[in-house]
Amino acid sequence: MKQRSTLRRLSAAAVAAAIAAVALAGCSSAGTPSSTISADCAPSTGKVDLTFWNWGTGMDKAVDLWNKKNPDIQVTLKTVPNGNAGTYQNLFNGLKANTAPDLAPIEYDTVASFRLVNGLKDISSCTGMSDASSKFVDWTWSQVSDGKAVYGVPQDIGPLGLYYRKDIFDKAGLPAPTTWQEYYDDAVALKAINPDYEITHFSQTDPNWFTGLLWQNGAKLFGTEGDQWKVTIDSDKSKQVADYWQKMIDEKLVSTDLQGFSEALSKAWDTDKVLTWISAPWGWSTIRDGAPDTSGKWAVAPIPQWKEGDTANGNWGGSSTAVLATSKHPYEAAKFALWLNSDPEAVSILIKETGIYPASKAAADDPSLTGGVDFYGGQKIFDVFKTAATQVNTDFIWGPTMTDTYRFLADGIAASLAGNGTLGQALTETQTKTVDSITAQGLSVAK
Amino acid sequence: MTLTIRARRRRIGNPVAPFGFLLPFLIPFLLIFIAPIGYAIVQSLQKTQRVGGLFGVPTTVWAGLEQYQRAFSDQDFIDSILRVLLFGVVQVPVMMIIALALALLLDTQSARLKRFHRLAIFAPYGIPGVVAALMWGFLYDPRLSPITDLLGRVGIEPDFLGADHILWSIANVVTWTYAGYNMIIIYAALQALPGDVLEAASIDGAGPWRLALQIKVPLIAPALVLTAVFSIIGTLQLFTEPQVLKTITTNITSTYTPTIASYSAATANDYSYAATLSVLIAVVSFILSFGFLRVTSRWNAA
Repeated sequence: MKQRSTLRRLSAAAVAAAIAAVALAGCSSAGTPSSTISADCAPSTGKVDLTFWNWGTGMDKAVDLWNKKNPDIQVTLKTVPNGNAGTYQNLFNGLKANTAPDLAPIEYDTVASFRLVNGLKDISSCTGMSDASSKFVDWTWSQVSDGKAVYGVPQDIGPLGLYYRKDIFDKAGLPAPTTWQEYYDDAVALKAINPDYEITHFSQTDPNWFTGLLWQNGAKLFGTEGDQWKVTIDSDKSKQVADYWQKMIDEKLVSTDLQGFSEALSKAWDTDKVLTWISAPWGWSTIRDGAPDTSGKWAVAPIPQWKEGDTANGNWGGSSTAVLATSKHPYEAAKFALWLNSDPEAVSILIKETGIYPASKAAADDPSLTGGVDFYGGQKIFDVFKTAATQVNTDFIWGPTMTDTYRFLADGIAASLAGNGTLGQALTETQTKTVDSITAQGLSVAK
Repeated sequence: MTLTIRARRRRIGNPVAPFGFLLPFLIPFLLIFIAPIGYAIVQSLQKTQRVGGLFGVPTTVWAGLEQYQRAFSDQDFIDSILRVLLFGVVQVPVMMIIALALALLLDTQSARLKRFHRLAIFAPYGIPGVVAALMWGFLYDPRLSPITDLLGRVGIEPDFLGADHILWSIANVVTWTYAGYNMIIIYAALQALPGDVLEAASIDGAGPWRLALQIKVPLIAPALVLTAVFSIIGTLQLFTEPQVLKTITTNITSTYTPTIASYSAATANDYSYAATLSVLIAVVSFILSFGFLRVTSRWNAA
């Protein structure tokens, strides 16, 4: 999950459209890769060539460093579109056609979708993996592992914080809100000062942002019961979050016509219309690049809480580096994945060049993340996220058909924003349709 | 003599030879066209079953018409079909009238700068659909658009991306793109009309209006039917424009058009269902296209 501009997002849609044309024509040959429960992870003999698909920029610097240090394990990097903009689809097809790369970034919420097609190697028995879990922020390990098997190495995370217009809050005499109730009160107060002020935007195209908010309230969307899935998307905890935001939408305190990462949103930030963004550490540069005229006016505060004094948090975005099931060199691939995301020098390159916020615990003290940031008036904003990362609820898991769940949720959110329903109804519908979607995949859902 | 002729005839009558000549067409046709359709039909009759474990080991089994049953009870999919039908009923005639009018105008003697106008009207078709949709997207977005900005100053606040208008905003992009393309086909048919017929009509006293509507239009009816059929098929396959505009409006869902619904199923790895929807879209296109041909040929006969 990295920053995207409208143009990039739209061009992603374009790529998706092009890929769809192929997909609709009836792609993919029959047969699924065989199950990958085998636990052995032996080194290959001789020189090994690995292929690594990645999106975004800057990864080449890290790969170059690896290739220089490891003449016998050479990694070839291929830059591809964002996962949801077509690369996941290409990977699914590649797994069937045996043309998938050895390594690819898999976002946490998509790990289960890949497990559904037996698309990832269990690398738990590979060298260095047994004690790897301690190197990463605690909750990330449960995102890539079911306790025994390990399906990827955590790379980056997106614990939530509150980006807000400190200048405008200060002028209104408002401190950064610490609870959601205060956040609502602030929205009302700011609206009274200037009817153009909107406390934030509620986006239809970021259902994973909304799940981050549900996550923060301790809502569990999915669970397991033996060999069965439990779907609890419309739980009371979820509903509480939905009702809260529905009230904000009904009272016109948030803008409902702005999509995430759009030009229009950047303009609204830049012209003092939208005043806060609940977002992840990677979002810092999105505001900086989108709203250059507001330099020095933003600050970051911890995310507001549902209960005064709590420190609960959720996550938005973040990915792991996974070894695809069709890889012939899991030992070498796992070695690279682990190095890429835990070696201080490598992670330092990733932070600087790709703009990620690392899942590696030690890297939170990387020099790039400890200084003040000019755009935020010199505030050491990453300190907020360093604390936030440790407060993310650890037992949140994703469903096996998240692509479907997200689109059901996005459709429901869209309806609510257009005034044709509520967020609560969106949750109920997403619940029903997700159960159908999981059942359609041949899995069983506990009643 | 007779013998050689017979032998030669026999050689000419070699039943395999024509197929030899057809191969360059048949092989790609079978591989790229028939095989995927066949595979889609096969997939649409299957479903995934899993045994053991939370994720299980998947096997593909025959499911009969189960996926079709699912599709027929999928309100979102039915809505998407109805939506594009409504779209087609309005957009196709509007676009055809524009294309025909432009072609007739270009075909008149008095038309100026023919070559330039022909190219200018056709140009939008040369712009990839995605780019066209992006461009119009910026013109529609209320916070960015110069159009809404200007109209806003005179007190009109159009909501191009609103629930009631979005379908017609898409229709506008499609019309803009394809009117010129259809015009070229119709114009080519007009160019091919025999001069003596038109001359005879002129001598008989037909003015330009009569000439256009009562002589030219009936004579180019086949070209009109052809472009209409293509447009009907295009309507059912509406994908690019809504898919691109989806990123800037809350009114396009993941099942907005039948092809988007099928695409969404495929992205979610529900290939059987995606195949089922594709087959259904094809069936509906066939019914509509052939139904249209049937009706128009009856008109022509009458």
